[in-house]
Amino acid sequence: MAMAEKELKGINQAEQLTTFESGNEMAAMAAAQINYHIMGYFPITPSTEVAQYLDQMKARGEHNIKLIPADGEHGSAGICYGAAATGARVFNATSANGFMYMLEQLPVQAGTRFPMVMNLVTRAVSGPLDIRGDHSDLYYALNTGWVILTARTPQAVYDMNIMALKIAEHAKVRLPVMVAYDGFFTSHQKRKVHYFKEREVVQQFVGECPTDYNFARDPKAPVTIGAHMNGEDLMNNHFQQSEAMYAAGDIFKEIADEYANISGRDYPVLDLYGMEDADVALFLLNSAAETAKDVVDQLRRRGIKAGVISPNIIRPFPAKEIREALKNVKALLIGERADSYGGNGPNLTHEVKSALQDDKNNKTIVLSRVFGLGGKDFYADDAELFFKDAIESMELGYAIKPFDYFGHIPGDQEKILKPVITPQHGDVYKSGLIHVNKDPETNKLKVKLPPIRSLTSKPKRIASGHGACPGCGIFTGLELFFKGIEGDVVVLYQTGCAYVTTTAYPYSSHKQTMIHNLFQNGAATLSGTVEAFLELKERGEINVSDDATFVMVTGDGGMDIGMGSAIGTALRNHNLIMLEYDNEGYMNTGSQMSYSTPKGHMTSTSNVGKAQKGKSFHHKDTAQIMAATNIPYVFTGAEAFPQDLIKKAAKAQWYAQNVGTVYGKILITCPLNWKSEDRYGEKILEAAVNACFFPLYEVEEGITTITYNPDEKKKRVPLMEWLKYMGKTKHLLKEENRELLSELEEEIEYRWQRLLAKNNHPFL
Amino acid sequence: MSILPKKNELGFFEIRLESIGGLGANLAGKMLAEAGVLGLGLNGSNFSSYGSEKKGSPVKSFIRFCDPDVEIRAHSPIEQPHVVGVFHEALYKTIDVVSGLAPDGILLVNSTRNFDEIKRDLKLEYGTLAIVDALQIAVEEKTKVNTAMLGALFRICEFLDPESMKNIIRKTFEKKYPHLVEPNIRTFERGYNEVQFKTYETPMGAQGKSFSRSMPKLGYKTQEIGGVITAQANSVLKDLSGSRQGFLPKFEIEQCINCAACDTVCPDLCFVWEAGEDKKGRTQMFLKGIDYQYCKGCLKCVEACPTTALSDLREKIGYAESNRVKHNFPYIAGGVS
Repeated sequence: MAMAEKELKGINQAEQLTTFESGNEMAAMAAAQINYHIMGYFPITPSTEVAQYLDQMKARGEHNIKLIPADGEHGSAGICYGAAATGARVFNATSANGFMYMLEQLPVQAGTRFPMVMNLVTRAVSGPLDIRGDHSDLYYALNTGWVILTARTPQAVYDMNIMALKIAEHAKVRLPVMVAYDGFFTSHQKRKVHYFKEREVVQQFVGECPTDYNFARDPKAPVTIGAHMNGEDLMNNHFQQSEAMYAAGDIFKEIADEYANISGRDYPVLDLYGMEDADVALFLLNSAAETAKDVVDQLRRRGIKAGVISPNIIRPFPAKEIREALKNVKALLIGERADSYGGNGPNLTHEVKSALQDDKNNKTIVLSRVFGLGGKDFYADDAELFFKDAIESMELGYAIKPFDYFGHIPGDQEKILKPVITPQHGDVYKSGLIHVNKDPETNKLKVKLPPIRSLTSKPKRIASGHGACPGCGIFTGLELFFKGIEGDVVVLYQTGCAYVTTTAYPYSSHKQTMIHNLFQNGAATLSGTVEAFLELKERGEINVSDDATFVMVTGDGGMDIGMGSAIGTALRNHNLIMLEYDNEGYMNTGSQMSYSTPKGHMTSTSNVGKAQKGKSFHHKDTAQIMAATNIPYVFTGAEAFPQDLIKKAAKAQWYAQNVGTVYGKILITCPLNWKSEDRYGEKILEAAVNACFFPLYEVEEGITTITYNPDEKKKRVPLMEWLKYMGKTKHLLKEENRELLSELEEEIEYRWQRLLAKNNHPFL
Repeated sequence: MSILPKKNELGFFEIRLESIGGLGANLAGKMLAEAGVLGLGLNGSNFSSYGSEKKGSPVKSFIRFCDPDVEIRAHSPIEQPHVVGVFHEALYKTIDVVSGLAPDGILLVNSTRNFDEIKRDLKLEYGTLAIVDALQIAVEEKTKVNTAMLGALFRICEFLDPESMKNIIRKTFEKKYPHLVEPNIRTFERGYNEVQFKTYETPMGAQGKSFSRSMPKLGYKTQEIGGVITAQANSVLKDLSGSRQGFLPKFEIEQCINCAACDTVCPDLCFVWEAGEDKKGRTQMFLKGIDYQYCKGCLKCVEACPTTALSDLREKIGYAESNRVKHNFPYIAGGVS
């Protein structure tokens, strides 16, 4: 029987070490050993760890890859493309909607023929959102023109990452290559893995980076990259591309042989298990195929000739090999972790069937099953049921159900979701205690607030029972803001912690209507909602109160990837509020740096080590960026100054209802990733404000007003007083990092002084 | 000759750790697995139940060991473990921690309680119960619970080498945090030495604990299309008390000045208010108490409280239940249930 990774006696086997690592760790290790020039990336679960591991190694000085944190996956693909067009060796990793977001760029990379390597750590594409693994993202890759290798184990992830670059750069190929492996199952499970002790072995194997192509690197040899074509020319370009893709199939075999020679591990085009004499077989991609092999062993002990086919490469699709492998198979079940809705079977079902079509003698009965979506586990007994189906078809001579879903359940009518509380709306949220009036003299809003105690009569907008971490600062910040809003709200939460912890299906912690959209697009989405609401009202098709307030809630991550959408929405000046809770990082995905992370702060992609000291550039001043769109109201706020924040919320509501777009940023603590004590949340925020890191101010119709001046209140504290609370900044307090600390202090003071100037001059 | 004490039909000796995010069960699982795979040359795999990156949420860590020549192909969670390690007792309330435990399996619990109480709570009939007060050890040594649990797990997995683990601890800390080397080694040793065992005899033909795969509440005939939820705020039905790591705020109403500072800082919206009349006969809001069902024990309220009305309390079983003031949500059925 063929083994998954056949132990060959390699003639030139190089020395290898054994470790215990996951797929993501092995992808990072291969990249570090190759020492790519550039990685442009944007975090998305479950691929994020690849960049994190590379950043950790970089901090330790173990490779020189320039890691560029993009503003989103579209940006990351741009960085990679630009670097590849310059002839650099380029690497990336992504998943699911991150992949979808860069999709537009992928045929550009392939069609203009710039090699690179990207790991696609497969995950379910939204919506509904699901962070776990299936192949719905991978299936969008099938038509991009990228070579696609599929890795079933962490070992294969390492090995294929090394082979991938060599295939990509091969003179007969010159195409980008994707290595696809299963999110969580392969990306996060630790296994025993072998790797080359010396990176030189890897570098020798992949060879020197080719320089003799038309790159944007030599001013002496100028070139035009990306001219536009008509169909006459495009036909020829794409024919070249098609030829290169098929050539990649042969080159894969050559390179796999060479690799087996140095590694002792063989990757045939198809991984065949029990297929020599199989009557029934399963065709499965990636990790599920491994599970099925255990079942093959069991079935064979019972005298059933069962087998499993799993391709190591799906672009080009190994039609010939599949035809041969299935020659005598009586019934085949193709299990797929994705669907092509309405296609009477997912993509690979049709590709396998079409491969068989060319063998006039083939009589294999083909069944197709969609299974394991959204990371639904695939157990050995599931594989057994697949075989049972195939055996039944073999015995009947036909398939009762050629195509079906597997693992779906009808559900119990008695468990249907029932409302728990009466809908909270209208007068329930009108305390009548908050008064906003325009002062005719100053043309500014005046807000009258009752003591906060009185406002406890107003129900919260968020329901208890959400899943945030202990001490999370999000909901205290949001609820204080909502205290200042009278009447109904319609909220849109962009992807982030606040969304994830309040909407774990079938539970919701929202009392009023909540819409989620992916975080590059929340502002635009809510602008559509507001306009539809107003239009429906205008036409008399809905009859609702006038005072509904539309609020888009986002993290600082959402204001990175969603900046374009937010600015567009602000420029159109819709009647809505954008409220950003800033915890200085992408905390929902495991604390990667955001553009709002201050310089020097440690995150999982801005590690601290001998070669690197936290984030390399200063924090983004989002409030000033939004103020530059000339919207009527911009503010900052923090939980530690509750009256100030509630007042601003009341103003925000007035401006959103009467004038246009409002943007507000509230600083919140993330004890988990700031590595601070849960209980000090409020003190930490107070220190951030008093250190002038996070000034409290507003920009009302273009006029800047500092609403709390720590200097005047004699509350100003040195920056250290804030930093000392947090593990992520502990290193900044050390003598050796004094210079870095003063750089941060200078930047903060500079921004504070500029703000003071604006406060003092109405034309600034 | 295999060094593994027991194996299932695929040749695996399996361990499942039950914890909440933040207690370090994942790290303990990883170190345990590495000790077997890299230390002893066994084959193995290790992974966790995956969700979002949250502290306080239930989490499982899985470890499979097998002989070096056995291939590991299974990716699925461990359903019928030989050993279960419970890092956090409060999990019993919401999670069947002993699900699928082998009839002669070993259950390790981090607890201050005695064998028979735990046996009764978990409806354990036979097998070996192991108890270690990992929290106390960690508090005394100023270290983490997971290191003490790891010590106890090494005692249970006799085939592993505790000396090599101590070397790993030494290597992990000596460069960056040399002062933590000795306390951590002591924590590990104390976990190893202080774990107590009691075996309840397993009769012939005894069955293991049953296990079931979690089924979704809704199916394709009962889900609203598009995944829309129409039962707004139904998360109030959830019990989050398992997220607490040993402490909660104690409320003394006599000291309270109803300033609402606690309400402002509470992430989990636990404070329960009611309208009443003040001394002058004016309508005012008064703090009635804390709904501990949602309290995750962050203690921000204690910091915010300007009086002594709120203070830290080391949680004892039953305190939260008997001192809970329930939120008066407008339940459809008509008020407080």
